[in-house]
Amino acid sequence: MRNRVGTFLFAALAGVALSSALPAQTGQQGGSAKPAAASAPAPEHDLSGVWNMHAPPAQRRFFGNTYTAEPPDMTSWGTEKYNAAKPSNGPRTHSLKETDDPVLRQCLPPGTPRIYLQPFPFQIVRTPKEIVMIFEYDHTVRQIFMDGRPHPEDITASYMGHSIGKWDGDTLVVDTVGFNEKTWLDRDGHPHSDQLHVVERFHRVDRDNMTMDLTMEDPKALAKPWKSTLYFQLKPDWDIMELACTDNGAFEDFEK
Amino acid sequence: MRFLALSLGLLTLAAGAYAHHGSANYETDKSITVKGVATGFDFVNPHVQIFWEAKDDAGTVQKWQGELTSPNRLTRVGWTKSTIKPGDSITISGYPTKSGAREIWIQKVVMGSGEELPTGGGN
Repeated sequence: MRNRVGTFLFAALAGVALSSALPAQTGQQGGSAKPAAASAPAPEHDLSGVWNMHAPPAQRRFFGNTYTAEPPDMTSWGTEKYNAAKPSNGPRTHSLKETDDPVLRQCLPPGTPRIYLQPFPFQIVRTPKEIVMIFEYDHTVRQIFMDGRPHPEDITASYMGHSIGKWDGDTLVVDTVGFNEKTWLDRDGHPHSDQLHVVERFHRVDRDNMTMDLTMEDPKALAKPWKSTLYFQLKPDWDIMELACTDNGAFEDFEK
Repeated sequence: MRFLALSLGLLTLAAGAYAHHGSANYETDKSITVKGVATGFDFVNPHVQIFWEAKDDAGTVQKWQGELTSPNRLTRVGWTKSTIKPGDSITISGYPTKSGAREIWIQKVVMGSGEELPTGGGN
């Protein structure tokens, strides 16, 4: 069998390695965004548009999988669930036949905040009542109510949770509760309970760049809050496309 | 089968490995290159598939297949469902399978014209 690695491949990979190291961005956890080139100023209280994750170099080795380089502090309940999980993404990768990832196994919605780790863009649409997030992955929709309502007292559990938002200066603060326990926090199998509380602080640094400070609290699963910062870039020329999870079934036939 | 480990490539592409489900089947610290003629191209979710034939060292024609990232990601870097047609000469590089099956998790595609196609980060 003739399988050769040409020197050209090495050269190409070296080029990719160099180019990926070039953008001068800070990659500290929870640090402020320092885009390589500032764009026009951000419009006031408007996050409309198609956004795509743009992890700084320091985050790229884990951001397809989870939120921080170091694992979160979990409770014994959380640790037990995590150890039992069989993810397909990340360092604990299992084949698609073995994994129990609820997204890959059952096509369940990824939930909040895992939806951000699915490697596809989302669009933010603004209406007087709410901010709507349309995620390309499986056309998942999330509503963030902006009309001042509180969370319902007797809340019905859901995958994406119940989200209410308000502006704190130029930062959109989104508070989300009311989760079911069918989803993972990330693609590495970190669990959560129905006591999960997610706070997202969206800050549009300039027209083309947005950061989101993410805090996950869950007294049943996490021993202390799990925090990260996500970085997004505006994609003015992109449209949200279709990506139906149900099509993934054929993939298992391919996998040997 | 000869493989050459690429430590530099490993550093660059590890993030892709984490973002790609089903990566358990592949040796992501190794890379192989197989040149041949395309026989099929499925522009489907979740991972686009290329099928091709290549001669082994004994001159026997072997069937190969490989997977890329999603159609959506490839569309955004210029691919269409007609980018690769049966009969096209292609050189495919990427991660081999652990099982030895003739499949590749594709990281690089070079057409017969010498044009290299972007693979959307390979994940």
